[in-house]
Amino acid sequence: MTETVREPVTLTPVLSKHWNEAESWTLESYERNGGYQALRKALAMTPEDVVGAVKDSGLRGRGGAGFPTGLKWSFLPKPDGNPRYLVINADESEPGTCKDIPLMMATPQYLIEGAIITCHAIRAERAFIYLRGEVVHVYRRLLQAVEEARAAGYLGENVLGSGQNIDIVVHAGAGAYICGEETALLDSLEGRRGQPRLKPPFPAVAGLYARPTVVNNVESIASVPSVIDNGSSWFSGLGTAKSAGFGFFSLSGHVKRPGQYEAPLGITLRELIDMAGGMREGHELKFWTPGGSSTPMFTAEHLDVPLDFESTGAAGSMLGTRALQIFDETVCVVRAVLRWTEFYAHESCGKCTPCREGTYWLVQVLRQLENGQGQPSDLDRLLDICDNILGRSFCALGDGATSPISSSVQHFRDEYLRHLDEGGCPFDPVKSTLFAGVNA
Amino acid sequence: MADHNSNETSSDGGGWLSAFAPIAGFGVTFATMFTKVVTEQYPEQKVPTAPRFHGRHQLNRHPDGLEKCIGCELCAWACPADAIFVEGADNTEEDRFSPGERYGRVYQINYLRCILCGLCIEACPTRALTMTNEYEQLKGSTRAGLIFEKQDLLAPVLGGMIPAPHPMVPGTTEQDYYQGKVTQSVSEQQEWVDARHGEDEKAGKVESVKGGDR
Amino acid sequence: MTVTEPSKTAVDLVTLTIDGIEVSVPKGTLLIRAAEELGIAIPRFCDHPLLAPAGACRQCLVEVAMPDREGNVRPMPKPQASCTMTATPGMVVKTQLTSPVSEKAQRGVMELLLINHPLDCPVCDKGGECPLQNQALANGQGESRFTEVKRTFPKPIRISTQVLLDRERCILCQRCTRFSKEIAGDPFIDLQMRGAHQQIGTFSPGVLDFHVDLPYPVVRTSEELEPTVESQTQGSTKDESRGASHDHVTGTYAADGIATRGEAMLDESGQPFASYFSGNTIQICPVGALTGAAYRFRARPFDLVSSKGVCEHCAGGCALRVDHRRGKVARRLAAEDSAVNEEWNCDKGRWAFTWSTGADRLTHPLVRDPETGELEPVSWPYALEVAAKGLLKAREAGGVGVLPGGRLTVGDAYAYAKFARVVLRTNDIDFRSRAHSAEEEAFLSHAVAGTGLGVTYAALEAAPSVLLAGLEAEEEAASVFLRLRKSVLKGSKKVYSIAPWASRGLIKLSGSLLQTVPGQEATALGSAAAAEAVAEPGSIILLGPRLTESPGAYQAALALAASSGARLAWVPRRAGERGAVEAGALPGLLPGGRPVSDPAARVDMAAAWDVESLPSQPGRDATRIVDAAAAGVLAGLLVGGVDPDDMPDPAAARAALETASFVVSLEVRASAVTAYADVVLPVAPPAEKGGTYLNWEGRHREFPQALTSDALSDGEVLDSLASEVGVWIGLRGELSGTAELASLGRWEGAKADRPEHHTVPVAGTTVLSTWSMLLDRGRLQDGEPYLAGTAHRAVARMSPATAAQLGVQKGISSNVTVFNDRGEITLPLALTPMPDGVVWLPSNSPGSPVRSKLAAGNGDAVSVRLAGDQLMGA
Repeated sequence: MTETVREPVTLTPVLSKHWNEAESWTLESYERNGGYQALRKALAMTPEDVVGAVKDSGLRGRGGAGFPTGLKWSFLPKPDGNPRYLVINADESEPGTCKDIPLMMATPQYLIEGAIITCHAIRAERAFIYLRGEVVHVYRRLLQAVEEARAAGYLGENVLGSGQNIDIVVHAGAGAYICGEETALLDSLEGRRGQPRLKPPFPAVAGLYARPTVVNNVESIASVPSVIDNGSSWFSGLGTAKSAGFGFFSLSGHVKRPGQYEAPLGITLRELIDMAGGMREGHELKFWTPGGSSTPMFTAEHLDVPLDFESTGAAGSMLGTRALQIFDETVCVVRAVLRWTEFYAHESCGKCTPCREGTYWLVQVLRQLENGQGQPSDLDRLLDICDNILGRSFCALGDGATSPISSSVQHFRDEYLRHLDEGGCPFDPVKSTLFAGVNA
Repeated sequence: MADHNSNETSSDGGGWLSAFAPIAGFGVTFATMFTKVVTEQYPEQKVPTAPRFHGRHQLNRHPDGLEKCIGCELCAWACPADAIFVEGADNTEEDRFSPGERYGRVYQINYLRCILCGLCIEACPTRALTMTNEYEQLKGSTRAGLIFEKQDLLAPVLGGMIPAPHPMVPGTTEQDYYQGKVTQSVSEQQEWVDARHGEDEKAGKVESVKGGDR
Repeated sequence: MTVTEPSKTAVDLVTLTIDGIEVSVPKGTLLIRAAEELGIAIPRFCDHPLLAPAGACRQCLVEVAMPDREGNVRPMPKPQASCTMTATPGMVVKTQLTSPVSEKAQRGVMELLLINHPLDCPVCDKGGECPLQNQALANGQGESRFTEVKRTFPKPIRISTQVLLDRERCILCQRCTRFSKEIAGDPFIDLQMRGAHQQIGTFSPGVLDFHVDLPYPVVRTSEELEPTVESQTQGSTKDESRGASHDHVTGTYAADGIATRGEAMLDESGQPFASYFSGNTIQICPVGALTGAAYRFRARPFDLVSSKGVCEHCAGGCALRVDHRRGKVARRLAAEDSAVNEEWNCDKGRWAFTWSTGADRLTHPLVRDPETGELEPVSWPYALEVAAKGLLKAREAGGVGVLPGGRLTVGDAYAYAKFARVVLRTNDIDFRSRAHSAEEEAFLSHAVAGTGLGVTYAALEAAPSVLLAGLEAEEEAASVFLRLRKSVLKGSKKVYSIAPWASRGLIKLSGSLLQTVPGQEATALGSAAAAEAVAEPGSIILLGPRLTESPGAYQAALALAASSGARLAWVPRRAGERGAVEAGALPGLLPGGRPVSDPAARVDMAAAWDVESLPSQPGRDATRIVDAAAAGVLAGLLVGGVDPDDMPDPAAARAALETASFVVSLEVRASAVTAYADVVLPVAPPAEKGGTYLNWEGRHREFPQALTSDALSDGEVLDSLASEVGVWIGLRGELSGTAELASLGRWEGAKADRPEHHTVPVAGTTVLSTWSMLLDRGRLQDGEPYLAGTAHRAVARMSPATAAQLGVQKGISSNVTVFNDRGEITLPLALTPMPDGVVWLPSNSPGSPVRSKLAAGNGDAVSVRLAGDQLMGA
């Protein structure tokens, strides 16, 4: 992409800095490494100043959409004496995304400190962490962490003598992808069926229990203490001009060392793969997703696309949750897309027609294609169904469901046609597995 | 015209042909004497109708004897002469007349109104209503006699069929019937009918089972 | 679609462009309605003008461009749902008519809607009037590209005895669930599962695939579900899919009274789905997913003939659409009338119409054969002759009492009133074939008769607070309940109820209970709490049927209205009561509110009726007519649609009918009265005559004759009878009575005096509280077992303390017997927060015929014992 010489990008571990330490999840460990200094600093500031600092830092939502966090906070109406809430979206369920759960597992106090600072900033007395229901171990750890924080006086009445009452409720969902959508999450949190709400009113005006509510991703909130601690300019100095700061890049798939790589935004996949020790031995990159399965896929030609909000968008995809799923040439793209589509069909909440019926149909068409049973015209049908879902559905789930299909047909139309020519999948699924070659 | 022509010929002085003029008019008559007779000696001699002749209607059966009519009334809707009256009803396990939920409980065609146009059979979604070549029954001296009821219209019970009501062939669905997967009745259905007949005899009402194909 | 009433104040208009045409609409108008103003129909399914927007079906997508901050009109990146987006100034909207994007979006959504929709149209009840069918033709593609496998479900599941659900056909627009939550307040169905398996359901474990331990004990008794209904369940329906709703779950009865679970309120049998308004969900379903058992497969929409109708059941006056075929009513739907019922009605109004077509329908005049003592069919002239002679003879022998009943049209009631005065020369006429009092008559004469249109539904909606006195709105005036709930949900309305306990209906109205012992309503109306309830200007007091049994209540209500400035409205139970008051079918009242006691009024009416004079002697009320007939003072009775079991003392009424030497009965069906009658003259049910009801508002609810019929209305029969007697009353023709009454005008003279306070001390140990349930044993609900299956279970209610005195132990199901010297009624007990020493019974539910068994009413003393034999108190 850019011909100008880039400075070599290095990892910038902030949130993951102390993951290696023994019992990194304890409050004691967190405090030893400078935890809760930011909170003390923040409580000394006025809420407006905290919001201003976060605004100045350029921190953008880490849940995928990249909405400026400080701006979101400033949308809340003026306090009227009635409750307002912070809701933290920890319903991490996007295929490939695995950043929040390791963070909450390893250093939950970052999130808790961030939540307390945010509550102070938006004048909320109560924060809710809506956690994906399947991760019971994380649920236990969060509950424990909240207990520790409360015992240490960071939560509860009169936080650190500031006169403020702030508390956190950890709520485990029942395992629905749709509850990662902020309004569906609020409905679910209220005890209703998790389906997206009509907007407007937006959560900032009428969110949880119809009160002003800020809904933020775990990583966004966990980044707040570092912003307060190190200053806005420190944060905005990281990353690119419009995509400031650092973030987790979750590498999974056919790289030698998959895992969490905390780096400034704007790093490229080529650099990340190098850090991860390169591709699986003897194989080469075929396609990858920049931010989970809902973002259109990239191929080897996009290796040098800087992973920030603007550049990925310009290249035809989205930064999303920086869930880099990396597939080498042994993977059948049709099969991979079928798996994802089955996920979307299973997780569609059913509220709107395009998503409910469209994903049901897409799965059937893709299954036929994968089995080599369709016709070349089915590809156009497939794309037209995607066209009838994209932008027509109630929330972004339907849009996301079409991304892998349309992008894969765009990049790999020939591979789809090969399925039809050969009357079945030309790939051996075993070759893409970890145990490939073990028994050979 | 004819006068004018004859005047013309005579004025031409056209001679001898005019001598035949008085009998020329019989030419057609004479010629016709030697053509095939088209008058049919009905009713002494009966001639088969054209294969697609629109005669009396018939309500068809599935190969196991269940009725095809679902009581949808589309025939009645299509009828330009308002000759058809249908009323649907629920099939139940005790009284199943057709596969699926619904059957035609009342089916009447008023042949005093019917113009035998065939729009009804085009409208029928299940091919339950077709027309036979039969026309002789469509006469009568009473009004009531020309309103045909369901039992007058139902197709005869052929081999392999058991007159409704009886259950569907075990293990089949409505779709199987329409896809031709049911080809004849099975012993379970016959047993059901026999058992039911036995009960009815005990209860003192016998005619209902056999009465299906009047 | 409902056009909301234009408000009287000037509205802010916004101007936008739709398909190149500029239109100005009130602020807040949805795009889909703004387009309607221009005659542009955007296809839609989930949208309903009376329900909150959902945006679920996505059928109404249009292209929208809006001016940004600089004023440049910028197109939005995606097509927008026009049913959720409000019009803003300068907006440019392109519908399917001008935008290829909108058209493709709509065709695409339609195709997706159809992929899982079965090709059921020939057997579907909705076929022919189906929005999906119609809009698929208008906005869909001719051919389907879907060659894959459709999702299927077992065919219809029964979600109540009356409502069937075919999940395959459902397009999940959520109209039904939104109606249940937003309008009726009975969320008896909701969405369950997700994705393509999402479905509407009743939370049955069979569908949800897990076992629920219900937190409440449940009991279903066998007599509750008519066996006929059970045997009608669908053959193709699997037992598991039919769900728990109809399983006979055994267990103990909930001693806690009303339990709640989630938002769904349970009836006493633990069923969350028993809604009085479930029929509306069938009507608003845009596909054939919800169908009614009563109409199932009965007809197709295209061979039904529709007439306008007005509901004959309660005083609400709901507009109906009566669909009939070949001389039989096939179904009734709620018709749209924004001033009265909007687009809704209750299940009774919708389904209870088979009562007039049963085997006991009278088709010929009957005269009792003097030799055999049996009623024999005779010709009309003969029957009229016998009736006329008999009535004349009885008139001379002591007089004839007239009991017209409370279900008449205005014209028919007027005919009775005129017939009594002109032909029978008596004021012994009283339509109140129910509990009544002199105080009530005085109140009606003083404050109701001749007052015209008073408090309206719109006024109810606008009122800041409404006090229900002796009125159980959901049970006794369902459309009033819906209108109240609508304004309660809007936010500011407060509802108060003077009753012994907070009913389900009151809870759904978020109402406050002014807890009152039956009979003490007058005290409650005079209390500070009541004064506070209606203190806000514009408040309304609704007076229900039970005040008539509460001494001094009317007087107290008038006093409260006078002191607070609140407006009063009388909400009777039956459709004909308000009309009968106007028509003068009361002993002290002539038509138009003219008091009998006023000579000027009598002269006025005598002139109008072209008679010398009118009887000046005040008449007997219903009780005294019955007593006089039983005592042989009155020789004859002319009886309309009256059930002796509704009378204050059923036994006395029967005795009167038996003793009276000559009884003429005008009836639709053979009844308890015709059994005693000497002459029975058949009259037409509402579907077979035209007429006008006056609803509780005083609004004329005119309806035409729906069915072709040679049955005569009561008015026409009385006209013929009068002719036979030799008096011309001129009431031939269905609307002549209404017209003549209207021509008389209202009485401008002095009103009847205010009612006086009569205190009757309450004696006895336990006070009876009772009112009728919407669905019960009423004669007008006969012949509809599916409807009967949705009735609430009859229970007796007592406070825990009172029950404890009886020896009821907590957690143990108990039956109690309520008794007096006339008889006894045994019902399961539901412990309910209510005053001690009070027992509540449903007035006329199965197993609880309070009048005929106990001859007692609201506020009367009864005794109670635990079923078994311990006595309480007595």
